[in-house]
Amino acid sequence: MAFEPKIIAFCCNWCSYAAADLAGTARIQYPHNVRIIRVMCSGMVHPELVLDALSNGADGVMVLGCHLGECHYQDGNHKALARSDMITELLEDFGFEQERYSISWLSSSEPDRLVKAFSEMTERIRKMGPVDAHDATG
Amino acid sequence: MAVRAALEWFNSCSGCEIAVLNIGEDLIGFLTKHLELVHAPVLMDHKYQGQCGEGSEPDIPEAEVGLVSGGIANTEHLELLLLMRRRCRVLVALGTCATHGGIPALMNGRGLRQGLEEVFTTATTDPGSSFPTGDVPAPLDRVYACDEKVDMDIYLPGCPPNPRHIAEVLTAVAEGRPPVLPGKSVCDTCPVERKGKGTVAEVRRFLVNAENEGPVERMRCLLEQGFMCMGPVTAAGCSGRGLPRCIAARVPCRGCYGPVRKDGNQMLDMMNALASNGIDFKSVMDRRSLLRFSGAHGRLRPMKKKQ
Repeated sequence: MAFEPKIIAFCCNWCSYAAADLAGTARIQYPHNVRIIRVMCSGMVHPELVLDALSNGADGVMVLGCHLGECHYQDGNHKALARSDMITELLEDFGFEQERYSISWLSSSEPDRLVKAFSEMTERIRKMGPVDAHDATG
Repeated sequence: MAVRAALEWFNSCSGCEIAVLNIGEDLIGFLTKHLELVHAPVLMDHKYQGQCGEGSEPDIPEAEVGLVSGGIANTEHLELLLLMRRRCRVLVALGTCATHGGIPALMNGRGLRQGLEEVFTTATTDPGSSFPTGDVPAPLDRVYACDEKVDMDIYLPGCPPNPRHIAEVLTAVAEGRPPVLPGKSVCDTCPVERKGKGTVAEVRRFLVNAENEGPVERMRCLLEQGFMCMGPVTAAGCSGRGLPRCIAARVPCRGCYGPVRKDGNQMLDMMNALASNGIDFKSVMDRRSLLRFSGAHGRLRPMKKKQ
């Protein structure tokens, strides 16, 4: 059977989750590989959540927040961005490829942007193959 | 009635056993009234296969509480750990090596083969220096924390662990209640002055002294002074006379009590704390060494070669 990646997407309540909602009502298709987890803000996604997802078998992790400067909580997505570089670099320390993580910004009225981000990520991970299934606890 | 206790050590330096001794005068009460040591290689000449070697399988007497120190690095450690688990009702991981791998688990960042090669051979070693394979227990593929191999009941981290906490655990087991141990971070027990993040944009290495005017309590937080202090991501417990020990000497916390949450990740948490506070995480010279005390549980692993 062909490899179908599992991707976890942390979507913020105010923009990207609303955009996913809109994509749904507008009947825009997006890859079923993406599992959305709604969070209040992209700034609350602790790096440990990203690492835990990968260690527990997710092939890719996405963080999606509001456009920079438009965060519902003023600067939550700036925090997410500051962390993002760090996560990308630290993934290698824990044995994951950097490309398995991505961050993007979109507003609640941009379902097409969301679908594009989902599709691109799915394609990227599909090419990379499954996550190197090591058990983080053993 | 005295509680039967067993001590055992694995990949250990005996610092934890000295911490037991450092319980001080109270230890006399323990040893004379409350505690009956039935097995302790550091103190007693108790043989595993009978005093005259008559037994076939290694065995130790049954005990209420077992204190084990050190991580699991070879087959002998593993066998003894399994034996302790079978014979002790309550098994206590004593010290950071037993709870999180400790210093020996730094080896996990290199891998067994590279580690042994570096230790046993150099460009100038004479022949015959190869790693022995016959008469010593075979090393495991990496250094493990005790709870990666068997279930543990109580975790007592620290390098060395706080004698007061060891006493508390022994008392708790004797009284049949769960022990009361600190669950917060070093920062929660640290009295220095915190004035806010300030303008620190990067952390620097500890090459110059911290502020040393006036009492320690009036010193500015070491992290706010720009030093790489691991207080925020390290479990509390080291406080001797009210101050975390390193802070008392105006030295940044090195993280020896392991992560605050038992399954936390000191390196990730510290880098996260720096990044979310606008401090350049790249200014940490050797970030993998933030796992210097908690490299077991697969946290430290050899770097993958870039393809």
